[in-house]
Amino acid sequence: MSNQSGSIYGLTIISPIKDEPHLEISHSLAIRMYLQHLHTILKDGEGPFFKVNSTHMARLVVLDDVVYFGMPSCEEHLQSKYLIFESNFDGELDTYLSRLARDAKEEVHNIWQHCIGYPGVENTDAFISYMKRCQVETTFYFADVNDKSVQQTLRALQTQSAVASFIEKNQGMPPNELQNAFVDFSKRLRNAPPPKPGSTKGKELTDKVL
Amino acid sequence: MSKLDVTDIQGFAMRGYNFPFARFLFLNFSDKEKSRECIGRIIEHVTTGERWDHGKPKTTVNVGFTYKGLAALGVPEASLLSFPVEFVQGMKARAAILSDTGKNSPDHWDPIWHEGVHAWLGVFGLTQPDLERRCPELNAILQEGGGATVIGSQDAAALQINGQFTSKEHFGYTDGFGNPEFLGLEKESQPGQGKLTEDGKWTPLATGELLLEYADEAGELPVAPLPHLLACNGTFMVYRKLHQNVATFRRYLSEKSKLYPGGLEKLASKFIGRWRDGTPVELSPNEPSPAIVQDPNRSVNFTFRNDLDGTRCPVGAHVRRTNPRDAFGFDGALVNRRRISRRGMPYGPYTPEDQPGSDDGEHGIVFMALNASIFRQFEFVQQQWIEYGNDARQGNDKDMLIGNHEGHGKFMIQGSADRLNPPFMCGALPNFVELRGGDYFFIPSITALRMIAAHSVDPR
Repeated sequence: MSNQSGSIYGLTIISPIKDEPHLEISHSLAIRMYLQHLHTILKDGEGPFFKVNSTHMARLVVLDDVVYFGMPSCEEHLQSKYLIFESNFDGELDTYLSRLARDAKEEVHNIWQHCIGYPGVENTDAFISYMKRCQVETTFYFADVNDKSVQQTLRALQTQSAVASFIEKNQGMPPNELQNAFVDFSKRLRNAPPPKPGSTKGKELTDKVL
Repeated sequence: MSKLDVTDIQGFAMRGYNFPFARFLFLNFSDKEKSRECIGRIIEHVTTGERWDHGKPKTTVNVGFTYKGLAALGVPEASLLSFPVEFVQGMKARAAILSDTGKNSPDHWDPIWHEGVHAWLGVFGLTQPDLERRCPELNAILQEGGGATVIGSQDAAALQINGQFTSKEHFGYTDGFGNPEFLGLEKESQPGQGKLTEDGKWTPLATGELLLEYADEAGELPVAPLPHLLACNGTFMVYRKLHQNVATFRRYLSEKSKLYPGGLEKLASKFIGRWRDGTPVELSPNEPSPAIVQDPNRSVNFTFRNDLDGTRCPVGAHVRRTNPRDAFGFDGALVNRRRISRRGMPYGPYTPEDQPGSDDGEHGIVFMALNASIFRQFEFVQQQWIEYGNDARQGNDKDMLIGNHEGHGKFMIQGSADRLNPPFMCGALPNFVELRGGDYFFIPSITALRMIAAHSVDPR
């Protein structure tokens, strides 16, 4: 089914970018500049998709035009420049869009304010309806999406990493000692807080467990 | 495809010579004209791909150039700028991409790699005296008119164990299996050496995976220098001097084997996917089999499709990572554009197995690999399959044997419910191998060598 792969939603939004020739900095350039500098403005754990933490993968691209490769292809042009937003996330579309409008308000506004017809984020219904008008069908997904939620994926990574370290530390131990160590380890693993979204290093995943 | 003119291709590109002795001379060019004259004198000594119907020669000579070397020979700028970017930059500049960091970073390389290596002159000999006779002759030719200076050399030799030449490397593994076959290169076909077809048979890879200006596996021509004649029948060589920490390896293997119920030799076989005598564990998981090793129809003829869980050959074992065959599905189609031809050779004295060995001193492997696209072939294998594990579903794990672990790596042996083949985890991996230098070389055809020497490379 389009837009849905198991429990994962695939969203593609294509928003036309405003064209106002009198501006010193064009709207498309302003989006690019903002996106390029976003990581320098934000501290760890402040990114928009960290805040909307049901996001598996998201990508923002400014599409200027169709690239002409020369003969024998024919020269074609788009009607405007477009902002492309792709996201793979858990749950329903309306919930996700309202979370974007609520939890990543500032970033969403700074980006989409340059797009034609953008109504702002204060009126969530209007924002959702605008985004849906810009939505196109999604049939391809991020290759690593596997029908597990972000939280399940983080938990699985934490478990894999912790179990690997446990085996390395304890293999070869007499059975009764090993069993005790494993029972103790399982308890700590079960009670360990889930890793934060965006955790990538093994240590971040296991330091609460081992 | 067009028939290959083997007399125009350097023999080293076409085949592994399998000579026990070698010396690699590194040249620096100080004067364009004199250096070109020098190359002109060397050409007639260069070994081509012609067949040795009357037996092997006593020695062979081959030559390759770094980008800086080609510039120092006065190859026109329009040609120089048409070379692929990774070759132009050279291996040192690619350190971050290759994970040549920490102890492997260029700061720790042998001094020669900071002194301007412009050319590699590879001399192989049937005997040490043959080599000792040939090298001074070549030296005299080089010195005749000046311009080219030998700034260093690297000796390499097959390891002698109990007075016999072997195909072993310093960790005790039999090396040199599994080079790919290419269309048009005269060679007896060996099942397991080319690419898999849908019906499970083996067939040679496209010529363009090795030689420039021929179609590759995608029907494309890799980036190659202009003009066509400069590139055609040429290839690129990756040269890496890999020091082996023999003491660290033996200690690690010995310590881990105390916990491994299959024993030391089986553990060693799990590390790379071959028993130390060369038997593929995929074909013989419980014991080495000299009969398989000696049978060319079997020694490289295996796939991983019936062992996707790594029960026999661990998913992250060295031979499975670097040549995954059909392990990623699609009848092996995903690996056909990532194959390299290895021409490696050990250097330094062998330490008998009953001794602890040493990490110090000069011993290791001169890794040389040939491919049409360093970026698409060698660099991909190094970056994605050796220094990363995602394609093999091993997360961040690196190649157990040659990964740059810096003490943090791990390697999982999947095993099975069999008591002697249990799952086993190798952690706190040290660097068994350290990079001591190297570079990227262009191995031109004989025609291209003549053009370079005659200063007649015309990119217009």
